[in-house]
Amino acid sequence: MNLSDREKKMLDEGNGEPVRKAMEILVALGKIYDAEDMVPIRSAHIAGLSLKSHGDAGLEWVENMAAENARVQVPTTLNVIGVDRSRDLGLPEDWCRKQKRIGWAYERMGCFGSSTCVPYYCGYIPRLKEHIAWAESSAVVFTNSYLGARDNREGGPSALAAALTGCTPRYGLHLDENRKGKLLVKVTEPMTCLADFGALGAYVGKRVGTDIPVFSGIERMAIEDHVYLGAALASSGAVALYHVLGITPETLFEKSVLADRYETVEFGNREKQIGKEQLTSGVDRSVDYVAIGCPHCSLRQLSQLAELLAGKKIHKNVTLWIHTNVAIKGMAMQLGYREAIEQSGAVLTQDLCTILSCPEELGFKNIVTNSAKMAFYAPGTGKFNVWYGNVEECIEAAVSGKWKL
Amino acid sequence: MKTKLKCRVISKGVAEGEAIVSRQPIGFNFCVDVDTGVYTEHHHELENASIKGKVLVFPHGKGSTGGPYVVYQLAKNKTGPIAIINVLTEAIIAVGAIMGEIPVVDSLEKDPFDVIEDGDYVRVDAINGFVEIEKRNKS
Repeated sequence: MNLSDREKKMLDEGNGEPVRKAMEILVALGKIYDAEDMVPIRSAHIAGLSLKSHGDAGLEWVENMAAENARVQVPTTLNVIGVDRSRDLGLPEDWCRKQKRIGWAYERMGCFGSSTCVPYYCGYIPRLKEHIAWAESSAVVFTNSYLGARDNREGGPSALAAALTGCTPRYGLHLDENRKGKLLVKVTEPMTCLADFGALGAYVGKRVGTDIPVFSGIERMAIEDHVYLGAALASSGAVALYHVLGITPETLFEKSVLADRYETVEFGNREKQIGKEQLTSGVDRSVDYVAIGCPHCSLRQLSQLAELLAGKKIHKNVTLWIHTNVAIKGMAMQLGYREAIEQSGAVLTQDLCTILSCPEELGFKNIVTNSAKMAFYAPGTGKFNVWYGNVEECIEAAVSGKWKL
Repeated sequence: MKTKLKCRVISKGVAEGEAIVSRQPIGFNFCVDVDTGVYTEHHHELENASIKGKVLVFPHGKGSTGGPYVVYQLAKNKTGPIAIINVLTEAIIAVGAIMGEIPVVDSLEKDPFDVIEDGDYVRVDAINGFVEIEKRNKS
């Protein structure tokens, strides 16, 4: 690998032990993937910050890095965590304390404590063709696909390594020739809600693995549709980039986003049902927990929820958590959405996500969600039974205490 | 009978033990119990199987990018695989394994699913770049 003098110096401890370790990880990755050199990055986003992912081992690892005065070299945002820093949600005290320590260690290194999986809503917005080192599988796929930035599926530690050195090995999706799709998905079924886009992502993600899917037949997509499609593709598969013909930027100026040879599949009503069944593990129709906002809700989603919940009361046996970040919650408070949401008995959380937290400690068993990503992870991580549907169905279940028959 | 195959080294080290094979990709974050090494993903062929102390064979990683921290935790807790064989390793697995010092190889001379079955005794030499497979009769 061709390293510049500056990069060689980092590898030789010229900039301290954390930077040396960081460079070691990046050079190892570069060698594995035959990168010719390093590419400078403009921003980083670090994920895996939940205590569930870090554990005591990871907490000790990151506190050591911070104690050795490591500093990030580019704007670096932090991912969603397992606590709400603004209020007590009844989660175990020891859990909350350790979770906060993880965040503080990264903040000491100069990261922004944004605590969100949607830093592109507020935090940092990468440009077309800008090289970045972002983790958070749903954000990786969003920056590559919707924004046309250049990002590989970074894990938390490699994103941190890139932030500490300001560079990442030039391989994978940093190279234009690797951004072509090998699977054309002809969507023949109308896509009417986030849950439909989630089902599309879950179905295709499972089949496409690490490849790049190209969708045709979709006429329009809201930004949230991209967020929920991408999150589903990246959880059921390892998708880091998709194209939607006529919609995502690279399809508008590249001659073709398809490789010379590609396969074609159809996504019709039957496939949509399979996608939804993949995400359902519910048996018992009595509901005790409803979770909305994975990835974190946009302002538009909160405005819709405020309307849906106006004048309603959540069933006494049900807890409804709606997840967003502190910036969007701030706007929702100013605009009266939060009041409308919480008068129903729902809770608008900040920083936190169900999957990264430990709601199983609160005794919940049967969960309802409109998020394919949450539906995918909830049975494994929290031993939840999951019902999957659109946001109206979720709110109906929260009010009645029952999943529809 | 032993079969010896060349491969590419991803994360250095040497380990040997019983193989567990998954034809489906594996996600580590939210899909493995870090205290026991039991794989928990719903509808997955390894659901409820233990990967602790095994040579884990799977096509490639998938899912959450928090994965490296979980691979690292499994290594520290001694509840994870002792070695990993992939068809093609992706970065999430590679970084976690380098941090946790778990030997990882990929790009074997032959398709690993043709030559390795559950219960085979496998030696992964991720220093010199080869794996050695010894067939074990299933009892």
